[in-house]
Amino acid sequence: MIAQIVNRLVLSIPVLFGVLLLGFMLLQLVPGDPATVLAGPMAPPEVLEEIRKQMGLDQPLLVQFWAYLERMAAGDMGRSLISNKTVTSELVSAIGPTVELMVACLVWSIPLGIGMGTVAAVKRGSLLDRAIMAVSVGGVSLPIFFICLLAIQFLGVYWPIFPFIGRGGPIWTADGFMHIVLPAVSLGLIFIGPVARMTRSSVLEVLKLDHVRTARAKGLSERTVILRHGLRNALIPVVTLVGLQAGYLLGGAVVTETIFSWPGIGRLAVGAILSSDFPVAQGTILVLALAFIAINLIVDILYALLDPRVQT
Amino acid sequence: MFNRPDFRSLAGRIGLAVALAAGLPALAAAQSVTIVREVDSNNYDPHKSTARAASEVLFMMGDTLVALDPDMKTIAPGLAESWEVSEDGKTYTFHLRDDVKFCDGKPMTAEDVVYSFTRWQDPETKSPVAWRAGPLEEVVAVDDHTVEYRMSAPYSELLYQLSQSFATIIDKDNVEALGEDFGVTGFNGTGPFCWGEWTPRNKMVLTRHDDYVWGPSFYETTGPASVEEIVWQIVPEENTRTVAVLTGQSQITQYVPYIALEQLRAAPNAEVVQSDAAFWTYFFGFKIDKPTVNDAAVRQAINLAVNQEAMAEDLFFGEVQPAYSYVSQDALDWNHAIDGELLKYDPEKAAQILDEAGWTVGADGIREKDGVKLQPLAYVFAGSTWQKISEYVQAELRKVGIDLQLQPFDATIAWGKLATQEFDVFGMSFPYISSGDALNLYFRSENMPTPNRMNWDDQETDDLLEAGLTATDEAVRAESYGEVLKKVHEAAVWLPLYHEPMTIAQSSELKTVTPHNLYGCGLYKGLGIAYKE
Repeated sequence: MIAQIVNRLVLSIPVLFGVLLLGFMLLQLVPGDPATVLAGPMAPPEVLEEIRKQMGLDQPLLVQFWAYLERMAAGDMGRSLISNKTVTSELVSAIGPTVELMVACLVWSIPLGIGMGTVAAVKRGSLLDRAIMAVSVGGVSLPIFFICLLAIQFLGVYWPIFPFIGRGGPIWTADGFMHIVLPAVSLGLIFIGPVARMTRSSVLEVLKLDHVRTARAKGLSERTVILRHGLRNALIPVVTLVGLQAGYLLGGAVVTETIFSWPGIGRLAVGAILSSDFPVAQGTILVLALAFIAINLIVDILYALLDPRVQT
Repeated sequence: MFNRPDFRSLAGRIGLAVALAAGLPALAAAQSVTIVREVDSNNYDPHKSTARAASEVLFMMGDTLVALDPDMKTIAPGLAESWEVSEDGKTYTFHLRDDVKFCDGKPMTAEDVVYSFTRWQDPETKSPVAWRAGPLEEVVAVDDHTVEYRMSAPYSELLYQLSQSFATIIDKDNVEALGEDFGVTGFNGTGPFCWGEWTPRNKMVLTRHDDYVWGPSFYETTGPASVEEIVWQIVPEENTRTVAVLTGQSQITQYVPYIALEQLRAAPNAEVVQSDAAFWTYFFGFKIDKPTVNDAAVRQAINLAVNQEAMAEDLFFGEVQPAYSYVSQDALDWNHAIDGELLKYDPEKAAQILDEAGWTVGADGIREKDGVKLQPLAYVFAGSTWQKISEYVQAELRKVGIDLQLQPFDATIAWGKLATQEFDVFGMSFPYISSGDALNLYFRSENMPTPNRMNWDDQETDDLLEAGLTATDEAVRAESYGEVLKKVHEAAVWLPLYHEPMTIAQSSELKTVTPHNLYGCGLYKGLGIAYKE
């Protein structure tokens, strides 16, 4: 198990290097100029030239990339061209809200999705099954921005229960909790669909297997059969899906955070890219990549826990 | 993901939060006002940002020697109680109030004024707005409350420029203590509000300056401000901004789409106020030395072919004023003699002018002359507003046989692109405080290639602008600028599109504000923001 984790971590190193290279190259291709951003549009050419020299932009690409790697290795991600705050501090202040949003979204949508899927599988073919599947398909098909706007329209405007602008504070404060409801609900709604559908087909698959029949034959209650012998095995593909979807969720969070003015990493990334704030953009790309790597690692570990066969 | 005990305590906390939320109405927010806006500034250093977003906050956090009345013409006392101008117009003596304090309690003296203006002009500061200070030679503190502003030549715009946020008086100790972080992690000003906390691209929190009593006299209250806290919240989505005002999550904003104004006016809990004494004009400019648009007939025809009135009506729901002049006809020093000569919509005449100038319609419907097709290339900003405007203009010009080519750029890149000579036409909008402000910026030959992107290189214009700028007599100034206005309108170097009024949407919980328009900052000092009793 530990060997496996170490193995995975070692494998992540080239991936990380690739991400650094890609982030560096992408921003070379973007038609903006960091020196212009720093100097402002009205700056005279000689000032611009001086700033360019200061930033090392007059050096060849390879030299710049090496210098970039050196800075990264030293933990120095630079300062934002826009706010002059250190990138690290910008990232730190943005990661908290995003993690909060992710947790608030997953904490209700995964259990609900799995529950819905299991019920649908058990009551296969019934009206309930069809209703659950209809909702799931809806959740899968609707774009996230549309769900966000609907949520704002109904729970923010028609029945003005929840605020929809910004973050009110940490989630355990009243204000913070009220503010997170709409973004977390919107983001969770796109998550329930796939999870429910995957759970349903996976449970159906597992309930046909021999060990379930054996369990039933032993005289175990239907509940125990489904929860202990059916669902546990059915969860393996669901975990994979959740892992994959969590990455997709980060993408959805970019939109959700923009619409709800949520001060998270997605909005930071979009804002940094749009305003040609290169150090921050590179930082956010790196963090998002790390998040993907981490999520995949967690999925692998959960796999091993759920299915001992994977460990070998 | 959670082991059991953890999950339970979390659930417990959520339950508690729900109970709290239900039991506590928004009491805490009573004396706080949230203003929503679209973009944030790059920093809040008055000398290092040209963004309107910076000025909006700087006006609230700081003060200038003089203030500008909402009529956009009258100069009112600010930090300076009174001032005198020397005979030759080169020296201004400002008498400062003696009761002004910075947010940290330190009294403001003439030394701070000297420091602020010196830093503004210091090449080390690399300020993109240094030119606004005029031909400044030195600023001298005569005594603790008297400052002399000495220039090498008279500068008739001075008081107007000193009312802008770039001339905000800052605290030397604060600037030196914060270094690079000045205007990023803190700012010590003398304004009605103090720096609270800034999270870039998210929000700027300002708290009330309790000692403040030196606000401009055109406000009902000269301080302290009525509300305890102002939050400038960034909301990029325009629909979200609109409903934020409708649902009371934001009390006031100047950034709602035109399409929503009718709805806001009809809503019982919202109010829309507008001011036409607001100078922000949208236009297309022509590079007058590039092929096709170097022909005055083409530029005139373009002016005649576009129906600004229909555009104002169809694209902006009649909320903007169609423009035929390069600066608002209400602006200081506008030349009323040319009111009757402005080019208005007349497509037949446009076609006729082009025919006479030898631009004949080709097989594809596009005019050409001597083998050159009439296809000027336009650089515009990407984004919904310029997309709408430029596509409309393109369609109008197509009707008279002109094939306008559009090339939109994101704002971060556009400024760099617009500094080149690669294009024939450019789209832009700009705020100004008077005719002189606009003309000196755009039509001086020394301002080529930016902001004089037209390459308008005319000695007579330069002389007239100089005469207007250094005039000590208001009549001379008005006459000089009037001449320039006449010249550039006759040459049709721009296609004016519309004048944007200052529009503010506010909650009816607030007293009705009077829109201001200095640098496009509708709320100015924020002293007018107050809850109804």
